[in-house]
Amino acid sequence: MGMITEKLPGYIEPVPGGSVLLTSMDKLINWSRSNSLWPLTFGTSCCAIEIMMASGAARHDLARFGAEVTRPSPRQADLLVVAGTIVKRMAPRLRTLYEQMGEPRYVMATGSCAISGGPFIYNSYSTIRGADEILPVDVYVPGCPPRPEAFFYGILTLQKMIKLGETIRKPGVRKKPVLAALPPGVTLDQIQKEMAALLEKDAVINLDEANRLREEWANIKMAGNEGA
Amino acid sequence: MMDTLRLLGAITALEPRAKQKENTDRAAVEVPVDAFYSLMGRLKSDPQLAFDMLYTHTAVDWSAKGEGPGEFELVYQLYSMTHGHYLLVSTRIPRDNPVAPTVSPIWKIAEWQEREVYDMFGVLYENHRDLRRLFLEDGWNGFPLRKDYKDEFMLERPE
Ligand code: SF4
Repeated sequence: MGMITEKLPGYIEPVPGGSVLLTSMDKLINWSRSNSLWPLTFGTSCCAIEIMMASGAARHDLARFGAEVTRPSPRQADLLVVAGTIVKRMAPRLRTLYEQMGEPRYVMATGSCAISGGPFIYNSYSTIRGADEILPVDVYVPGCPPRPEAFFYGILTLQKMIKLGETIRKPGVRKKPVLAALPPGVTLDQIQKEMAALLEKDAVINLDEANRLREEWANIKMAGNEGA
Repeated sequence: MMDTLRLLGAITALEPRAKQKENTDRAAVEVPVDAFYSLMGRLKSDPQLAFDMLYTHTAVDWSAKGEGPGEFELVYQLYSMTHGHYLLVSTRIPRDNPVAPTVSPIWKIAEWQEREVYDMFGVLYENHRDLRRLFLEDGWNGFPLRKDYKDEFMLERPE
């Protein structure tokens, strides 16, 4: 059993033979951490529009995942979302911002630029080829720019990772969650076929069916009028 | 406000060597560099034209591998707040001797815009008051928007 002092979760007094309370505390802490991510807005170019504005606005609503409290100050943030191109001159500032964030801190690289330099990877005199050249990145979200849905998938992934991850006993050790496993008994082929059928159905208008429906509706209406 | 045709007519009357550029959506002319400065002055002072705003200045590097030194095309975007019409003026200078007259006595903002073009392309503006680098560090070697620019940071596209 461990004694938890007021310096939670940084300091645990070890008591021989205890582990039950500790694991439960880990779960609780990780749960609350993962559901109250405060992102630092670091948008340097086009991706910022998708990630910071579209994702936060009403239609997509980042608040559903508890990560809507974007902070303009690194001291109050625990998630650094790198949304945009990073150039040589910006790199030291970005690193400084990261250093200024309190532990535990997480980094998401969104968009091709933050992953690899994206469209500017070749023949550029200034673009850093990926945020991971200067920061440890936890989650990558591909796209140019990624849609808000993709960004949310990144947030959910990060939440999963936080929930699985760091424990009080081993701070800084993060486990990468398994993300893309197919459910048992389903093959990729089946999914593709299903998607193709769905697209086909969406793209084709069945006139006979539409006419039949219209008549049906007209009949129902007439019947209703007669009754009245 | 003048429509494009009348605008172009007025400019050709001012400077017969000004050629109309093709495939543009707005009025656009190209002038030889020796007629360039005087035309720019008159574009601003002529009350019919009154181009009182230079809202962009940039350059284009027209050079291809193995085809001689090539040229820089200097592009100036003008707007008249009095009349509400736009004009693009361009002029060409050789790439191996990139000297052009500054238009900063006509539009003060050109000082900054020309510093940027100098920074990126290395175009030298005669009589510019303060031709220093604008965005890059003072000790930077070369001009990065030139097509033949290379440095050790750059990753070259594999063929
Ligand atoms: S990845 Fe694409 S959209 Fe995002 S910052 Fe780079 S160029 Fe812009």
